[in-house]
Amino acid sequence: MEYGFTTAAYVVAAILFILSLGGLSGQESAKRAIWYGIVGMGLAVVATLFGPGAGNWWLSAIMIAIGGSAGFVIAKRVQMTEMPQLVAAMHSLVGLAAVFVGFNAQIELARVLRQKAENAAAEFEGFAAVLAYKTPAEIAVLKIEVFLGIFIGAITFTGSVVAFGKLAGRVDGKPKKLPGGHALNAGALALSILFGVLYCADAGSPILWLVLITLLAFFIGYHLIMGIGGADMPVVVSMLNSYSGWAAAAIGFTLGNDLLIVVGALVGSSGAILSYIMCKAMNRHFVSVILGGFGGETGPAAEIEGEQIPIDADSVAAALNDADSVVIVPGYGMAVAQAQAAVSELTRKLRAAGKEVRFAIHPVAGRLPGHMNVLLAEAKVPYDIVLEMDEINDDFPSTDVVIVIGSNDIVNPAAQDDPNSPIAGMPVLEVWKAKQVFVSKRGQGTGYSGIENPLFFKENTRMFYGDAKDSINKLLPMVE
Amino acid sequence: MKIGALKESFEGEARVAITPSSSAHLQKLGHEVFIESGAGARAGFSDEDYRAAGVTVEATAAELVAAVDVVAKVRQPTEGEIGQMRDGQTLISFFYPAQNAELLEVARQQGITAIAMDMVPRISRAQKMDALSSMANIAGYRAVIEAANNFGRFFTGQVTAAGKVPPAKVLVVGAGVAGLAAIGTSVSLGAQVHAFDVRPEVAEQIESMGAEFVFLEFDEAVQDGAATGGYAAPSSPEFREKQLAKFRELAPQMDIVITTALIPGRDAPKLWTRDMVEAMKPGSVIVDLAAEKGGNCDLTVPDERIVTDNGVTIIGYTDFPSRMGAQASELYGNNVRHFMADLTPKKDGVIEHNMEDDVIRGATVTRDHDITWPPPPPKIAAIAAQKPKEKPKALTAEEKRAAEIAAFKAETKSQVTLLAGGGLLLLLVGLVAPASFMSHFIVFVLACFVGFRVIWNVAHSLHTPLMAITNAISSIIILGALMQIGSGSGWVLLLSALAVLMAGVNIFGGFLVTRRMLAMFQKS
Repeated sequence: MEYGFTTAAYVVAAILFILSLGGLSGQESAKRAIWYGIVGMGLAVVATLFGPGAGNWWLSAIMIAIGGSAGFVIAKRVQMTEMPQLVAAMHSLVGLAAVFVGFNAQIELARVLRQKAENAAAEFEGFAAVLAYKTPAEIAVLKIEVFLGIFIGAITFTGSVVAFGKLAGRVDGKPKKLPGGHALNAGALALSILFGVLYCADAGSPILWLVLITLLAFFIGYHLIMGIGGADMPVVVSMLNSYSGWAAAAIGFTLGNDLLIVVGALVGSSGAILSYIMCKAMNRHFVSVILGGFGGETGPAAEIEGEQIPIDADSVAAALNDADSVVIVPGYGMAVAQAQAAVSELTRKLRAAGKEVRFAIHPVAGRLPGHMNVLLAEAKVPYDIVLEMDEINDDFPSTDVVIVIGSNDIVNPAAQDDPNSPIAGMPVLEVWKAKQVFVSKRGQGTGYSGIENPLFFKENTRMFYGDAKDSINKLLPMVE
Repeated sequence: MKIGALKESFEGEARVAITPSSSAHLQKLGHEVFIESGAGARAGFSDEDYRAAGVTVEATAAELVAAVDVVAKVRQPTEGEIGQMRDGQTLISFFYPAQNAELLEVARQQGITAIAMDMVPRISRAQKMDALSSMANIAGYRAVIEAANNFGRFFTGQVTAAGKVPPAKVLVVGAGVAGLAAIGTSVSLGAQVHAFDVRPEVAEQIESMGAEFVFLEFDEAVQDGAATGGYAAPSSPEFREKQLAKFRELAPQMDIVITTALIPGRDAPKLWTRDMVEAMKPGSVIVDLAAEKGGNCDLTVPDERIVTDNGVTIIGYTDFPSRMGAQASELYGNNVRHFMADLTPKKDGVIEHNMEDDVIRGATVTRDHDITWPPPPPKIAAIAAQKPKEKPKALTAEEKRAAEIAAFKAETKSQVTLLAGGGLLLLLVGLVAPASFMSHFIVFVLACFVGFRVIWNVAHSLHTPLMAITNAISSIIILGALMQIGSGSGWVLLLSALAVLMAGVNIFGGFLVTRRMLAMFQKS
């Protein structure tokens, strides 16, 4: 009876989760979709608490209450610009939880096997009871699953912690590697697999192998992500998202819990697709992103002729007042300067003056997939004027003024013109086709990739130097 | 250096090469500025105005030439004017070296450095000193004003209480700088403007000014204007016939015809023939901006306004810029001072005549008793060569069908391969793995499949909420911890309690943050 109830609840929960992800296809349906997710989660937890093998309700409830209130407080306090690091931090928790659950599985397995050997008629409770019915072949598979769950979980944990540090600015964003580079990672991986095989083959102490594997995986996660630069973080975060899903799925196999498997697979494929989309938007292979940094030099970059011509706020305001259509291209620099509110106010004023104002968002703008959309939404920019690259690229030739705020590589014409450029072939926003381009930038420097941007030297480009927030605020009183 | 402007000796010329405002800029470059008394009078600048701007006024031309190092003029110099100058002096003016070989020789013998403002190459950097363009712009504007003056009707269409007035129809032939200026002026007066040019690449410019491009059906590969520095080249006889036929068709409808067609170094092409004039309505006006080079119209008399027997007015003035002396002087004066700025790169009043510079080299026609004309071709092309536009090939119905079938087959093939490969892999796993594992594995594969399908549809703008919500639901790992918390003791209890705690943070934090984000997405 109890089994039936739990399984039924799991089926409903799984469907709710799928609906919840599917609902994200549109802004309005998303607001309903989130409730599906919440109800699904509640149902799953309740069903498990009342299902077979659960115990210690009080402890569970207390732990959930403590954790929940912590999560509640964090979620209420977090700034929208801090979203990337929050997501990274949360991934690390899932990874660590997966490691713990994996260890528990092994501890229990050892206990069950030991007691079974001593006394064939031993009675088991909870999870141990599930293990007790396993055949030797099933136990072998179980061990592989435990190994995978712990390994992936541990990588997710340290990887996410490092990603969090980089995104929060507590760790230097530049790619860093220990001497030995990827050979170290490969060695650690080979060693982990060796220990994994030893663990599965019941050679020596299983717990020792697992601890060693965990330590090695911790190292891989740390070293791998340290070697990846700040601007590649959208890929990294979605990759870690994917890993946390696969870890959950592996644990699901271990515990024979279908709901864990389903949700893990959903999350895993979601993260994988996001990574794929991000890589595609940068025209880079997933492997080359993960291996860190940009590839080797492909040849001398094309010479850039011309000069960067600065401009003051008066002239930018005058151009805005004359323009009929304006496109704003925000980038990570807007998030850093916290300029989204000022940008939103500028948008409101321009729209009130009857001008067409739109936003062009490159898929990898910012440090998280969709980062810019969330920031603009927070600043109350209506989402129907925030457009994707493919939607707006054809409109630039008929645009009067483009304002580029804190983005660089995603508006670099070298990606199209210069086959030797490291970003050659990356899809970019073709802002230079507009009549006039203003670039709000802190100073003359290259972007994350270290590539000179020919856009800044174009005849129709003017450099609007200064902190993005101050610059836009200076414009506000002059625009009517 | 000392720079001075002569009074124009040509009868009726109202322009002057230096204005009070341009003299201020010249002084900033470190130059001393002089002017011949009365030079600016007809452009509306008195000697007093010049003095107020810090310019020294010299009584006669001879005194001025004696006082300065650089002589500036508008019209090409006379032999007498060159005769007054001394060895090593610089002259800046229009020169037309191609038509004035003798004058060039005189200048060479005299040893002066002659800078021809009409020879400034047409490259972007030199636009600010392109006097031909600035004068052509004025001519185009003035042509429309002259036409309006001689046209007995409105340009703009009106519906008045007294009756309806149709808009005037204007045809502009040749869409160079003058032509485009004429188009702009006519459009802003309210006329319906048609324009023609042999260079197809200017169609876009014509349309951008608000005129309609007169399209000529012609198959021959038309020469690209970019090859000739942006100017028109002579066209083939067949093309010319086609063009004249089109004009003949248009002539009876047009009220105003403004012709601006010029080919560098040649007489103006005859484009508006006698029979076209005869076909026009009485009261129509033709303004021939090419009159100086013989005119585009058969009947044009240079410097005259004539009325034909059928009542068509033909204006052949050659002094349009001079008719707007104040404006023309202002622009020409700016062209000259921009040129001087290039000649004094350090802004210290010392002229560096850098013959390596494309612009200076191109404009210099004599120097050090040498004729330096014609110049070598500039290093930078004037206009980027137009890439031939690829026309998308129109596929026939069969080709389309074939392509569709091929695409369908390729898709089927890849799908079947994937399915077969995946199926085989599953079978292999199934051979070794226990049954209980397989049942879970099926669930896993199906869930991956559903996940891929669902996630592809997620809007790009919602990727951050997607990450937050997947994050929240990935804490489903709590189920594992909950199942273990009741089993065993010691380490198991501790670890699973911690796992529950962490997953709890994630569940609440993840869902709440997602909700916060989604609530912010608002429609305008």
